[in-house]
Amino acid sequence: MDKEFTYIGKRVPRVDSLSRVTGEAVFAADLKLPRMLVGKVKRSHVAHARIVRVDTSKAERLRGVKAVVTGRDTAGVKWGVFRYTQDMEFLPRDKVRYFGEEIAAVAAVDEDTALEALELIEVELEELPAVFTPLDAMASEGPWIHDEYPNNVNVHVEINVGDVEKGFEESYLVREDTFTAAEDDYFMGEPFAVVARFDDGGNLEMWTPNAGPHMKAKPLSNALRMPLNKVRVRKIAIGGAFGGRSEISPADYICALLARKSARPVKLIYTREENTVNVRMGHALITTIKTGVDREGRVLARDITCYMDGGAYSSTGPIATSVPFLCMEQAYRMENVRYNGYRIFTNKPVRGMIRMHGRSFACGVDLQLDRLGEELGIDPVTMRLRNARKAGETTPTGSVVSSCGLTECIEKAAEKIEWRKKYGNLPPWRGIGIGINSVQTGFPLGIRGGSQAFIKFNEDGGVTLNSGVVDNGQGNDQMLVQVVAEELGLPLEDVNLITADTELTANDPGSYSMVSTFAGGNAARLAAIDAREKLFRIAAEALEANPADLVLKDRKIFVAGSPDRFLPLTKVVRMGLIQGRPVSGEGHFAPKVDHRREWVSNPHGQLSEAFSFGATVAEVEVDPDTGQVRVLEVAAAQDCGFAINPMVVEGQFEGSVAMGGQGGMLTEYHFWDGGRCMNPTQLEYKVPLAADMPRIHPIIVESNDPGGPYGAKEAGMSIAMSAAQAYASAIADAIGVTITDFPMTPDKILEAIEKRRQEERK
Amino acid sequence: MKKIPVSMTVNDDEVDIYVPAHWTLLDVLREELELTGAKEGCGEGVCGSCTVLMDGHPVRSCLTLAAEARGARVLTVEGLGGPGMELDPLQQAFIEKGAVQCGFCTPGMLMTAKALLDSKPEATEQEVREAISGNICRCTGYAKIVEAILDASHKSET
Repeated sequence: MDKEFTYIGKRVPRVDSLSRVTGEAVFAADLKLPRMLVGKVKRSHVAHARIVRVDTSKAERLRGVKAVVTGRDTAGVKWGVFRYTQDMEFLPRDKVRYFGEEIAAVAAVDEDTALEALELIEVELEELPAVFTPLDAMASEGPWIHDEYPNNVNVHVEINVGDVEKGFEESYLVREDTFTAAEDDYFMGEPFAVVARFDDGGNLEMWTPNAGPHMKAKPLSNALRMPLNKVRVRKIAIGGAFGGRSEISPADYICALLARKSARPVKLIYTREENTVNVRMGHALITTIKTGVDREGRVLARDITCYMDGGAYSSTGPIATSVPFLCMEQAYRMENVRYNGYRIFTNKPVRGMIRMHGRSFACGVDLQLDRLGEELGIDPVTMRLRNARKAGETTPTGSVVSSCGLTECIEKAAEKIEWRKKYGNLPPWRGIGIGINSVQTGFPLGIRGGSQAFIKFNEDGGVTLNSGVVDNGQGNDQMLVQVVAEELGLPLEDVNLITADTELTANDPGSYSMVSTFAGGNAARLAAIDAREKLFRIAAEALEANPADLVLKDRKIFVAGSPDRFLPLTKVVRMGLIQGRPVSGEGHFAPKVDHRREWVSNPHGQLSEAFSFGATVAEVEVDPDTGQVRVLEVAAAQDCGFAINPMVVEGQFEGSVAMGGQGGMLTEYHFWDGGRCMNPTQLEYKVPLAADMPRIHPIIVESNDPGGPYGAKEAGMSIAMSAAQAYASAIADAIGVTITDFPMTPDKILEAIEKRRQEERK
Repeated sequence: MKKIPVSMTVNDDEVDIYVPAHWTLLDVLREELELTGAKEGCGEGVCGSCTVLMDGHPVRSCLTLAAEARGARVLTVEGLGGPGMELDPLQQAFIEKGAVQCGFCTPGMLMTAKALLDSKPEATEQEVREAISGNICRCTGYAKIVEAILDASHKSET
């Protein structure tokens, strides 16, 4: 990039960090409003039942209780991400479908009273047969979890491109393997908390962790039967999302209902257990992969069937069923490919999108490629390079990949860990492995639009940017500030933000699916350019220059090449005010995608305007006596398009290695007793700690996407996924056995080693 | 509900209050004193987001009863540095090194790091990693947090 930037591409500390290090940042649970009540939820203690009777009379009579709500207080509206998946009542009237589902809720003057009131609610349930695995659910003779879905099949995505059978016939080598993985979870720092109140104009105000305030306001408006313009989801500090804040939470609605009924503000804070069971979690997967390759290891045909344990409701089902496949079809060239993805209802908590989406899928594809390579005598890096996606190609389902630095990612990550020297030459119980992946940069597909931004000048030349982009902690606010400061020649502190508020800010697709920089960043950039052009028109007249010859830097508007001919920005802003043409800026951006594409009915066409690509290489050491894995070094290379702030991008890579690789492959999974999650807190769901983490080498690769702001795409998610694959591959290399059930906990590793020893003895 | 008297020093302020007997130190800080820097991330002493210093030692304020904090000197993130005060070198380093992402674990992480550097100004990387292993961060992979703590320790040496 030939342009010299002041902030873009620079390691600038985040503007929002100060309030976090002083404790001043306000998260939803920190809010305190006058006369505020405490909300609590009564939950189902069985996994599947008809609701016969809910008697709240005793709870209502308890002193200090101000409101009790059940399904009878609702309008019975069902939520679904798509029109065809509307199957979830926020407070069900007839039936509960998983252990922990909402049945009633109370608002009381304090927590102790609210908890006491919950005990006084009498619930009579008629238990129904429950199913807890996808295979049992499909084999069940009913009653179905949802009447409209026979055999509990929620979603079936079918993709068939090229001639798969012919591809297998022409293959030199064909392998079929099945990989499985248990549920994984977000464990974002902040447990869910929501505050709701109705103001004196009857407007609902809400503060809640979200990945898109506009995506919460709409379902709230529907369920509460109130106009969308009266639902005001406000900006609040958010303690992480990782996919787990993408949808409306039943508690958002319940809190609003309690606030409406009690006519007082209500705060509802989830316990850590509720945050696990009643938010979302990752799907458990059973993935069967059949791949055919030629003598050089090039994939000629691939056939994948995946059964996903979806839990009790559709949630983002059609998306969740598709994305693991789409990531792989983006990362790897494959001309003949068939995919059958089934999302199955079970009587378990609802599953949604997660940063490491489909770990058995991605790790399965990569581990199988390693084994195929082994049989052919081709090392894993060469296998990846031979099949890696390249810029200018089209994916099997018809997305043109306009920028792609995957080959460079593979080469740089491999070089950093000295792959060529180490592979095949490491001492016993040491191993090295690689994974590659690719992630979308937003996919509107009917449910989401573009992003819009406005800029207002203050008389001192400072600006306020108005944007719907939300920051979950990843640094979106910083991204917006850097973009606007760069385009308007302002110091960072002169850029103020009004963001993520459904009353004040325009529509935005939300921060999930890695779209914020691409859509929101582009919109902010265009708004700043619009404002700058207006400033230049005014300044050009005063400076007797051509607007095209002006530049804006350090709060001054210069005639290019003449450092003495300038006007202070403040003066030009005031001139605009006096001349009756005040300066403002407007920008909007919607990624170019094929809007005819639909997840189930038409999975063909441009999915996303841009795709990120990542390659991770990990070196591990396995203790054959304990099954413990020590990770020695990790190189994480991602083509993020362009790093608007390399320090922030590195932080995303490092966090991705922790969640995707270290946690995702070694320790993280849920275990169950029927439909009851037995490890809903960090006591028994083991997330990585500081002492566990290996040295990470973040490697930024820049392919400069033609559509991204400054060439930027997304940062981190293709590392989270490829890190899991790299860990899996490295462990297999270390122990000489391919484990097919994830995560690879010590018991499985010991079992695999023992099995290998027994076979060797034979 | 039975209330008990509790007197303690919080960030140099004398505090004399009556609180329900079952309240934790975290309840006192957040509900009564409106110091919401300490966070409740798990409520069972695993995540470390509620860490504050009690007489210089890091404690889980969610597992510490208010009654146990009687007579103690309590330091929270609000007393470490901020509006009207200079920032602690740790706070400064967290900002500069990009150690803050969502920021929910940050106050607890800072207090644990503060206790470490107070007792061991020249802590090694391994000591830093072990010291903060009771504080869970889900965003950063800890790399930049460790870097920031080491940076602050080097600065306080000079």
